Formats: sequence, structure tokens, C-alpha cells
Amino acid sequence: MSTMSVAIPEVERPWILPSKGRVGMFSLITAESAIFTIFVVAYIFYIGKSLTGPTPQQVLRLPIFNTICLLSSSLTIHLAMRALESGNNARFKLLWFLTFALGSIFIVGTGREWHHLIYDEGLTISTNLFGTTYYSLVGLHAFHVTVGLVALGTVLALALAGKVKQEHAYQTGVLSLYWHFVDAVWVVVFTVVYLIGR
Amino acid sequence: MSTSEPKPESEQSGQPAIDLGTSGTSAATGSVPPVSVKLPAPTAWPFVLAFGLSLIFAGLLTSAAVSTLGVFLATAGAVGWACQVLPFERQETTQAKAEAAPVFTSRPEIARIQTLPEMQRAWLPIEIYPVSAGVKGGLAGSVAMAVLAVVYGLISQGSIWYPINLLASIVYAQPFQLSTRHLDSFHPELLLVATAIHLMTSVLVGLLYGVLLPMVPRRPILLGGLVAPVMWSGLLHSTLGIINPLLNQRIDWMWFVASQIGFGVVAGLVVAHQERVRTRQHMPLAALAGIEAPGIVLEKGSKGEDL
Amino acid sequence: MASDAVTIPSSTRLPQEAEGTWLETLHGWVTTVDHKRLGLMYIGLALVFLLIGGVEATIMRIQLAVPHAHFVSPQVFNRMFTMHGTTMIFFVAMPILFGFANYLVPLMIGARDMAFPRLNAWSFWMAAFGGLLLYFSFIGGDGLYGAGSAPDVGWWAYAPLTSPAFSKGHSTDYWTIALLVSGFGSIGTAINILTTTLSMRCRGMTLGKMPLFAWLNLVMSGMVLIVISPLTAAQIMLMIDRYLGGHFFDTQAGGSATIWMHFFWIFGHPEVYVLVIPAFAFVSEIVPVFSRKAIFGYPVMVAATVGIGFISMSVWAHHMFTIGMTSYGNAFFVATTMAISVPTGIKIFNWLGTMWGGKIRYATPMVFCLGFLFQFLIAGLTGIMLAAAPWDWQLSGSYFVVAHFHYVIVGGILFALFGAFYYWYPKMTGRMLDEVLGKWHFWLFLIGFHLTFDFMHIPGILGMPRRIYTYEPGRGWEGWNMIVTIGVIFQAAAVLLFVANLVRSYFKGAPAGNDPWDAWTLEWSTSSPPPAYNFAVPPEVKSRRPLWDLKHPEDPDWKYE
Repeated sequence: MSTMSVAIPEVERPWILPSKGRVGMFSLITAESAIFTIFVVAYIFYIGKSLTGPTPQQVLRLPIFNTICLLSSSLTIHLAMRALESGNNARFKLLWFLTFALGSIFIVGTGREWHHLIYDEGLTISTNLFGTTYYSLVGLHAFHVTVGLVALGTVLALALAGKVKQEHAYQTGVLSLYWHFVDAVWVVVFTVVYLIGR
Repeated sequence: MSTSEPKPESEQSGQPAIDLGTSGTSAATGSVPPVSVKLPAPTAWPFVLAFGLSLIFAGLLTSAAVSTLGVFLATAGAVGWACQVLPFERQETTQAKAEAAPVFTSRPEIARIQTLPEMQRAWLPIEIYPVSAGVKGGLAGSVAMAVLAVVYGLISQGSIWYPINLLASIVYAQPFQLSTRHLDSFHPELLLVATAIHLMTSVLVGLLYGVLLPMVPRRPILLGGLVAPVMWSGLLHSTLGIINPLLNQRIDWMWFVASQIGFGVVAGLVVAHQERVRTRQHMPLAALAGIEAPGIVLEKGSKGEDL
Repeated sequence: MASDAVTIPSSTRLPQEAEGTWLETLHGWVTTVDHKRLGLMYIGLALVFLLIGGVEATIMRIQLAVPHAHFVSPQVFNRMFTMHGTTMIFFVAMPILFGFANYLVPLMIGARDMAFPRLNAWSFWMAAFGGLLLYFSFIGGDGLYGAGSAPDVGWWAYAPLTSPAFSKGHSTDYWTIALLVSGFGSIGTAINILTTTLSMRCRGMTLGKMPLFAWLNLVMSGMVLIVISPLTAAQIMLMIDRYLGGHFFDTQAGGSATIWMHFFWIFGHPEVYVLVIPAFAFVSEIVPVFSRKAIFGYPVMVAATVGIGFISMSVWAHHMFTIGMTSYGNAFFVATTMAISVPTGIKIFNWLGTMWGGKIRYATPMVFCLGFLFQFLIAGLTGIMLAAAPWDWQLSGSYFVVAHFHYVIVGGILFALFGAFYYWYPKMTGRMLDEVLGKWHFWLFLIGFHLTFDFMHIPGILGMPRRIYTYEPGRGWEGWNMIVTIGVIFQAAAVLLFVANLVRSYFKGAPAGNDPWDAWTLEWSTSSPPPAYNFAVPPEVKSRRPLWDLKHPEDPDWKYE
């Protein structure tokens, strides 16, 4: 194989840095993960340490439908982003609305579950350690879902007003990262509270 | 001055938006013509949001009215903030007066620090003893020490088992708590324990000699035979009460030091007579790391290859 | 690249003269999103709280100077040590380090502002309102029960002291919400610094060419994200316990007081490194400039910092040896704590290596850094002593521990911080701090520091517990405590001298010019103080010392890196 020297012309090499929004969102997710870790550790530490009832075995029912709704919303928001990036606005609006609706179903479902626990089973945050840890961990997650829903709703309103276009894929993409995080946390919360803790 | 100008700006990541008067990054010479620079516009909404959030928390401790005001302010702050960045970041343009102010130094001369590689190496041992030398020395010393200890036992108590039992009492003192008569008699398990302790300590100290002696290459017997045993005995003198109270009560320090010196002289002699090997410190990093790197690694047949 | 390739805007304009009425000036500062102004506001906020926290410390030392003293009541004494600790950590150290990072990181990496300027403003105001809430407790802490006033549960706020039964009124709640609010601000700032260093670097500044200051603040921000959050979580739990009747830390309902300790120290110990890493950053910038040499072992410095960041997450329970962990737990935390001294030692050797063979200029910033090196080493050595569990069993909760961590925070961090003030004040204001006053400041503070904190170790070994209100004569403590208190006089005088120097030099100091120290990082290429836009033309760098390349075009760094 023969070699020959080729003069490489001095070209302006592109100077590419990580995107601000994504780095910032990943930082926020790191901080939020640390907060959730502490609550999850507290929950696991206090499993079975309640001095009085009711216990998780007696009152908790698996929120299968809720879980399916929330997890599938991760898929719909991903597809919505794909639609927005390819410029298919109608499809984006439909999928974004679907995401918002699925998230709302989850929050309503959590509300119904809490209503049942409080009024039918008599479990409040001050009843016993299970109540304290359960309501704070699930409540912290529900708070994050609510914040996410407010943001999703804002984007939905803007989209319906026709103000979200292809060039906004970047900001909505950052928002979708947050939503994916909220869904991933639910996997952990579900495992800890409903599978391990029961 | 500055004008507020919510102009659409499509680029969203990376550098803040800039308008250069001239294109190109840094090719200007002399004085640069004024360039217009876009900076994020001042806004009070983050302040309002922070104030609102603080009031929400403060309201928990004071009254609901404070929290209500906080919620109102926080909402206003959040909405106001959103309007600042959505759909496009609010920026203002300023004129940057860029005059040429060349970077210069009053210390143009550079001095290089002279390093002499061989001088820095002078204090490290070029040659060391192999590990086996330390083991051999330790074992030889252990024999010498054992002989001396047994002699001591015969002379002072008329029993060769006396020093052995005392040594074993480091880990196994319980049998002797009641009477002292047993110290003179033979106990197989104590012989085992004492032998293990004796051999282990001897080999460890022998290895230490193997490491230390090349550092003081001129008088190995003085260091190994006298200085080290005396220091070791001094250390033991102050700590033996904790390690082995029984031995501490009965110890004869003259004999103890004598047997230590016996160990030191023999171990030192044996170690010092072993053949030394060269260290690898002169070899390049690539050779030490075992990387095959032609041109860096020494060629075959040269010194250092046989290590 | 030719030497004339980068042109620097120069301007002789001195600090933002009031262009309108004072109301307009105020409005300008409240609404600003400029990283430099926010940095200065952070520093100003911290200096105010530094004086308040210093007064609280002085009150404690007067109370403890002689046996059977009644300078203040026991209740006030408890409030003083609680407020002193909380103030100094959360409202002095954190904001002042954030302030320097805010001001300098964008300048050093050649950016026009932080990544999220509005978030930056929000974070500052959260910190400021957090501080206000904490001190509002002096007025509002009584609450409904008529008990309380300022928080008096110690800065650890161990359960069950914080339970409603033992901490009536709202004083503890003000402590909690103050830390919650300022904690959110800290997380915001950390996100901002991290994103700025990763996403705003100027052309050519790869991660391997970033100044160490930016690198160390990047690591610090990453740590803040991970360690402030557990504190926030624990504070939320405490609020749930106190307000909603939860049982997290309620031992009577099966809760655990120990888990609060774990949660607090998972925050608390890495926090020390969050504070000391920016101090390392100052030293890593100042020592090379005043030794006229490039930093020794740049990649190792970065690696050691990252190493400290990781290891510091797994050492927290060495604050808790006395709670009776398993021997495996003890052994693990002893080992990790000892291990963290390795990367720290690497750093000290690198600074020494930087000075070795250098042409050292003993200007005030440098002498403060030398003090830092010496004292931080001793602080590390007592740290290793306390890391050994048996030693800690004997001395935990004694004045030896107090002396140890003040050696770290005052002898280490504060000295580096003073050095940073003398080094960057010319850049921030355009005027030099007075060197003579600076040397007086240094020597007085050095003497005061050593009088106070060297001798504080001894009553600790003699058995004097921390947080003690007063003591009986005849235990061998009184002479030492008197010396410790006398040292405070020197320190207070030195700090007042420093403040006087700050104020006097602002108006009468010698003009600094762009580059008074003949330094090498990008902030010295702008005017002093820098214009709002920092750089008229975004710079481009080729090495870790861009200004060296410009000053010595015949021998640039990028040929070697």
C-alpha cells in the first residue's frame, strides 16, 4: 500500500458543546433522584416497623391500570416528539393530548386511591409509620406528576393555539425528558411500595 | 443605551446570541469596530417568584393569608418568567466598544528549571535484595533467637519450655492465670502457637530488613544488628504491658535485648550476603507497564531485560 | 496563532456609577440577571452574614472565657451556637463560594453569562430570602406557644430535640424553611454552574484546557446536586413530622432518631468538601500565578478532585461512630475516611510541586494561600486522628472536634477565601486592595487563628464537651479557654481591618488595570471591572493558559499540552 502526503486544508472545525437545556435538565433530574432516593430509603427502612395497623398487606391494592396509563404516556410523548421533529403538527397535537390525558388519569387514580385509604381504611399520614412513609413517597411523586402536567398543559394550550412548531422541538424535547424521569421514578415507587413493601 | 428587543432568535443552544460586526471569530487586528452584543434582558420575575415561594413557606408558620399572597406572587412570577423566555428569550442589544488593548507582560524572559535526572535518583536504592533474601534472613535469625531464648530458659528457670510458654501467652494466657508452675512444663498446643508467632514475626522482620538494608548500604550489621533491635526493644518496652502482660511481668530485659541482637546480627548478615538485583526505576513507563512499544522499550539483551 | 490575534476591549470606566436616582440603581440591581452583579450580591450577602455569625461566635467565646460566667443565659447560648453554625455554613460559606463561582466561571471560560441567567437571579434571591427567614425567627419564632425565639437545636438539629414536644413554638420551623428555601436556591445555582462549564466554553476550550477553577467548581456543583437534595428531603420529612403528625423521627411510634443522623450527615460531610473544593480552586489559581509556573500535575489535580467528590459520598457515618454501628460499619467508614486523605494529599503535593523552583512573590493573596496549605495539612491530620473509630469514641462531641473542623473551615477555607478576595478584588472593582493593610490583616488573623484554634484542641482532650454553657473551675480548662477567647480579639480586629480595607480601597485604592498580577486566565484579558458583555469578541484559546500564549508568542503552552 502506497502512501502519499495530502495537504489538509485549514478548515474551520465546528465547535460543538453539549446542549444547555439537556445538561440542565439532567442536572435537575440528578438532584430530584437524590431526593427520591432518601424517601425510598426511608420507606424501605420503615417497612414492617409500624407499631399499629393498618398494614400494607391489608389495605394496598395494586394500581395496575394507573401504572399502565403512566408508563404508556412515556411512549406517547416519545412519539409526539418524533412527530414534532418531522413537522407533523396534527399528529403531535393528538399524541401530546394523549400524554396529558394519560397523566391526568394517573393523578385522578392516585386521588381515588388516597380517598379510599383515608375514608374507607382509616389510614392517614399520622396513623402509623406506613401511613407517614406511604403518603410522603407517593405524594412526592404525585407532586412531580402534577408539576409535569402543568407544564404539559401549557405546551398543549400553546399547541392548540398554533404556537408550537417544528423549531420548538428542542424545548419540548427537554420537557419530555422530565416526563420520562417522572415515569421512571414511578417504576421504582411501584416496585418498592406495592411489590416489596406488601 | 440599550433597547428591549424581543426578536426571534432561532438558535437555542450553545453560545449566547451574538452579532459580530465582522464575520469570523478572532481575526481582527488593531482596533475592532464596535460590535453589537445581545445580552439577556433584566427582569424582576425571578425575584418575584423567589419572594412568593418564601412567603408560601413563611405562611405555614404565620397565617394562611401570607401563603395566599405567596401563591399569588409565585404564580405571577412563574408566568412572567415564562413570558420572558417563551417563545423566545428576551434580549437587549448593547454596543460593545472594543478597543485594542494588547495583552503584554513585563516579564518577557522565561527561565527553565534545570533538572538533573540522575541527581534526583541518588537517594533511591539502585539495587535491592530479592524477597527471598528477607525470608532467608528472617528464618536464620529466628533460629539464632530461639537458641538464645532456650539457653535463657535453661539458665534462669531450668526449663526450655519457659520462654516458649511465655511467648505463646500473647494469644493464649488463660491457662496461666491461676498458677505459675505450669510455665515450666511442656504444652504441645503452646509450642505450636509459639512457633507460629515466632516464625511469622521473624519472617516479617526479615522482610523489613530486606527492604531497609539497601537504604543504608554501608553498615548493614550496625543497623540490622544493633540499631534496629534496640529500637524494637524500646518500642516493646513501652507497649508490652498491653500486648502480653504475663511476659511483661516476668521479662528479663537484658536477655531480651541480647536475643534481639542475636536475631538482628544473624538476619542482617544473611540478608547482606544475598545477591542484589537492580530496580526497574531506570526503565521507561511503557516498559514497566509491560506495553510493547518499539523505540521506547529497551532492546533485547540490554541490562534490565533480565529482571 | 499570532500574538495580535485576540484583541481585548479596554475601558477605564470604574464601577457602575449611579446613572440615575438611587431608586433606579436599586431597580437595576434587583432586576439584574448579569452573572457579575449577582456574584457581587452573593458576596455582599455573605459578608453581612459573616459579620453576624462572627458576633455570635464572639458572644459564645466571651461566655466561655472564664468558669461560671453568666454573660448570656443558657437559652441565648443555645441559640447562639445554633445560629452561628447554620449561618456560617449556609449563609456565609455557600453564598460566598457561589458568588465567586458566579463571577469568575463565565469569565474564565470566555462566556458572556451563565447558562441560565434568570435562574441565576432566582437562586440568589432564594438564598437571600432563606437568610431573612432564618433571622426573622428572632422576631417571629415565638409562634403560638409563646416559647422559643431563634432556633436552639444545634445546627445538626438531632431528633428528638426537634419533635413538637421538645421544640415548642416555631423556632425550629424557621430553621427548617430557611434551609429548604436556600437549599432550592443552591440546587439552582449548582445546575447553572454545571451547565455553564459544560455548555458555554469558548472556542478551543476543551475540558482538558479548562482552568482548574472552572473544573473544581464543576465538581462542586455536581456534589451540591447530590448532597443538598438529601438535606432538602430530610427537612421535608421534619416538616411532615411537625405539621402533619408524621412519625419519621418519632421514636415512640417506631420511628428512628438515628435515621435523621444518617440523612443529615449524608448531606453534612460531603458539604465540607462542597465548601473546600472551591477553596482548592482559589489556591489552584493563585499559587501558579505567584510562583510564576504552570500548575503542577493538572490532570492529576482534576482526577484527585473527582476522586474526592466520589469518596466523600461514602464517609458520612464517621460522624456517628458513637451511636454503636456494627464493627463492619465502623471499619468501612474508617477505611473510606482514611482513603479520602489520599487524593487530598495529592493536591497538597501538587501545590508544593507548583511552588518548587518557582519565583515566588509573597503578595497578600499568596501568603494567605501559604497559610492555607500549612493549616489545611494540620486540619487533615487531626481529621485522620478522628477518622480512627476508637479515637473518635473518646473525643466525639468534645472541643477537639470543634477545633478540628474550625481548622478546616477557618484555617483552610477562610484563608483561601481571603486570598481570593485580595486576588480578584482588582478585577471586580478596578482598584487594588491595600497591600500594607493586607499584610496586617494576614498576620493579625494568623495569630488570632492559631491562638484560638490551636489551643482549643487541648480542653477537648481534657474532656470539655462542645455546646457546654459554662464549666466549673479546677478542671484544667479555664486557662486554655481564656487563651482561646483572647485569640478572638485578634481575629475580630483582623476582620474589621479587612472590611475597612474593602471599603477604603473601593474609593482610594490604586487603579488596577486589566492584569495587575500578570496572570494567565481569560478574566484578566477584560477590563477591570469587566463590561456587561465580558468579551466584545468571544475569545478562542489553544491551551490552559491563553494569556501566557499571548504574552510569550515565542514559547506558547499549546506546543507542550
